[in-house]
Amino acid sequence: MARDFDGDSDGDDRTGGDSVASDNDKGATATASSATRERRSAIRNSVERRAIVGLAVATIALLLGIFYYPVATVFIDSVLVDGRWTGQVFVSILRDPFYLGEPARLLAGEPVGAVIEAILSPDRRLGVIGFTAYQAALSTVASVALGLPAAYLLARYEFPGRRTLRSLTILPFVLPSIMVGVGFVATFGRNGTLNAVLGALGLGEVNLLFTLEAVVIAHAFYNAPLVARVTTAAWESVDASAVETARSLGASPLRAFRDVVAPQLYPSVLMGAALTFVFTFSTFPIVLALGGFQLATVEVFVYRLIRDLEYAEAAALALIELGISLSLLYAYLRYEAKHTVRSRGIRPLPRQPLTPPSLSVRELLPRLGLAVYAVVALSVFVAPIASMVLASLSGPEGLTLANYQFLIDRQTTGASFQVQPWDAVRNSLLFGVTSLAVALPMGVVVAVLTTRDYRGRKVVDAVAMAPLAVSGIVVGLGLLRGLVFGVEVGGSRIAVGGGFAIIAAHAVAGYPFVVRTVAPGLESIDHTLVESARALGAPRARALVDIELPLVWPAVVAGAAFAFAISIGEFSATIVLASGTNQFTMPIAIERFIGRRLGPATAMGVVLLVVTSASFLLIDRLGGDDVGF
Amino acid sequence: MDRTGTPAVELDGVIRRYGETTAVENLSLSVREGEFFTLVGPSGCGKTTTLRLIAGFEDPTRGEVRFGGESVTGVPPEDRDVGVVFQNYALFPHMTVGENVAYGLSFTDPPGGGSDAERVRELLELVDLGDMADRDPDTLSGGQQQRVAMARALAPGPDVLLLDEPMSALDAKLRERLRVQVREIQQELGITTIYVTHDQEEALAVSDRVAVMHDGTPEQVAPPRTIYREPATEFVATFVGDNNVLSGEVTAVQSDGGNDQRLADVAVGGGTLSVALDGDYSANAVSIGDRLTFCIRPERLAVDTGQNAMPATVTSAEFLGETTRVHLDWDGRELLLRTEELPEGTVTVGFDPADAHIVTAGR
Repeated sequence: MARDFDGDSDGDDRTGGDSVASDNDKGATATASSATRERRSAIRNSVERRAIVGLAVATIALLLGIFYYPVATVFIDSVLVDGRWTGQVFVSILRDPFYLGEPARLLAGEPVGAVIEAILSPDRRLGVIGFTAYQAALSTVASVALGLPAAYLLARYEFPGRRTLRSLTILPFVLPSIMVGVGFVATFGRNGTLNAVLGALGLGEVNLLFTLEAVVIAHAFYNAPLVARVTTAAWESVDASAVETARSLGASPLRAFRDVVAPQLYPSVLMGAALTFVFTFSTFPIVLALGGFQLATVEVFVYRLIRDLEYAEAAALALIELGISLSLLYAYLRYEAKHTVRSRGIRPLPRQPLTPPSLSVRELLPRLGLAVYAVVALSVFVAPIASMVLASLSGPEGLTLANYQFLIDRQTTGASFQVQPWDAVRNSLLFGVTSLAVALPMGVVVAVLTTRDYRGRKVVDAVAMAPLAVSGIVVGLGLLRGLVFGVEVGGSRIAVGGGFAIIAAHAVAGYPFVVRTVAPGLESIDHTLVESARALGAPRARALVDIELPLVWPAVVAGAAFAFAISIGEFSATIVLASGTNQFTMPIAIERFIGRRLGPATAMGVVLLVVTSASFLLIDRLGGDDVGF
Repeated sequence: MDRTGTPAVELDGVIRRYGETTAVENLSLSVREGEFFTLVGPSGCGKTTTLRLIAGFEDPTRGEVRFGGESVTGVPPEDRDVGVVFQNYALFPHMTVGENVAYGLSFTDPPGGGSDAERVRELLELVDLGDMADRDPDTLSGGQQQRVAMARALAPGPDVLLLDEPMSALDAKLRERLRVQVREIQQELGITTIYVTHDQEEALAVSDRVAVMHDGTPEQVAPPRTIYREPATEFVATFVGDNNVLSGEVTAVQSDGGNDQRLADVAVGGGTLSVALDGDYSANAVSIGDRLTFCIRPERLAVDTGQNAMPATVTSAEFLGETTRVHLDWDGRELLLRTEELPEGTVTVGFDPADAHIVTAGR
């Protein structure tokens, strides 16, 4: 990074020398006051020169303190047991069929034949890891199945509200997963809307709660929009003239789709699928809310081990999970680097009207399919939200605001360990604002550092974006073990409060989103603007403040909204850090309420929905298209 | 500020590489105080890189850039006292025209001691945009934006003005008008100016001296007239204006009867052409058996002249208004002729030996 940052000493001398010389030229009298001004501006100058380096160092130090050090302690926890270095914890996990299913017996040294036989038998054991992968695979299939028709609709049809629908595909990124969980309970639970509808139709009751189906549908709710989003983008960049060329060469519409369009969609579908698998592999709040411990995924089990104070085993299991996720991501990125062909859609495929122009089978059939899809999509995407809102407003005597009243009422009766709703609302807002105050400058600095040319940029990029890959549970555990329990420094113990740790965890979760919204904006700024500013005398940091930041301001605000929404909805790290304290947030309160008191849980879910939807509106208005996902 | 004799800007053995590719190769130039100096060349010749090295946006891989005799190695652009105008003007879109021009004054006092506002008004008047201070840059025409960029670059009173193809985005007529204005402003302020363009006509029209760049090095540095009349290399001969470049073996060297100029007979194709040995070649530098490369401007070729007659056929013609550019085929060689009347079929063209300019000679 030397080139842009250097030029301190001899640069300073030159400025001073030259401006004095030119003053004398013009015959201006050098007065004492101008000398003071000169000195003051020299001090300001040198501060501005070092500003970027200073901010970079501060950001990296902060990142080390609130992310790398805590996560490293998790690592060490798993290999340092009772003061001895050992790989035993890993070995015993990998050899235990409870975790790895039948393949674990291979690692335990059993004969291959017997293991294969066991795998093929109907009562095979998947183990926690195997089950996690299994549900992730099912969720991926469901997400792709639900996402592709949406991409088809968005890319190929024109209808009122298309743009709105398209921007809604980013909403899941900001919707708190525990809120989605509440929505699903309100829909599929025993007293949910689904059973109400079925009852009204004279059909029997179903209970999908605590079943794999509910978990998979909830995952599809989350990830199908992602699949739709990336596939739509690819579809829109298909050049119409390529399809027309194929048609003029004799290909039927179907053939042209298969030969020209589909190959350009595969990489994006695969990207959506790969990300979905990775996300659902490390799923936590959804399974906790909808599956309970009987459907435990790895992440849920890590949480349970932490609750049982089995830190070494928890850490080892979390690391195995992280290893699997990272290898999948790496494999995908390798594939992407090899296969991504960004064709510049000079002229995108024309969109058809949604109302059929004629009543032929060829026009009607796809639209009929979309109509069926719409019913499915409505029940997956809209029903949970609608049910949650409805449930929050209903009480034993019909419509009521009692559930909301409950949120504001300070409970004076409840025991201290009970979750008090107003405290949760207040804590959420407090953590949201304070973590934003950390995440926003961090994100902007990292965005600046990763969009400039210097040696080692890739390393900085990787170091700064790693928090995206590490699960909240691990970050939470690290902060708990590393900072809340205290650090031994020179004989004295330094510990931070749980509140600070939660703020740190939220900042770590939120700032990558600031980076991902701001960096594309900075990248697209014409470099001659910055060069002009510098030629006019602006040090690098001043050019950043005067020119670049004002130009990417909408993206900065969108990034802030993102970070705020992430903090408001953060669950995994918070639940680790908040247990046993009074620092719980709305998502934690929802989790506590969800089994017992659905009313307050849904009311809180609606509050979360309002806050995150407002953030979404800001993101969409100011920077939606640039978000690098 | 007595800098007489010291060049305002010097490049000494500068090399700039990007990985494997070399953008600037062993470049040495010196630009005099108050001079209008132009770097001209085709795209990729290294002219813009040279400008960026002077501005401090890039550092030389090797060699040194000096301002007023002092090395500026490691001095960042903001401390170099340069004004830069880019091809796309790079006006700050979130500031008004006035704020754009005032920006550089936040880092230095206005030269002449007045207030910032006075300086902004003064500069905008200099570029004939006195009433535009409150406008947004994107409401201005391309030509107006270009002039705002000039005013902004000049406001802090830089020692050197650097212009990177500042007119290439404008239409031809406007370009011609603006280049006159740029030259006038430069003369009025007496500011050392380094101008980069790919347009050789523009280079000849405005400059005190021109450096013709090719493959990262200047092929010739000279005043415009010298560049045009006495190109030093074949590249310069063909890059600057139209030219006919011919070469062949010297068969005889003789003195021209009337004046004391010597002539060389050169065997080109099937015929023999007589060429005056001018400039560097007027002494005994050329002898029989040397290979001689020379050029004749198309406007110096004449139809039906007795000297150096070359019978040729017309292959095509472009009507350019005041003249017509005629493409001829002479014995398999393409010749260009500028004429007012359009010849047809077969013509005999020739030239005065004194109008030929020798580019290179040697074994």
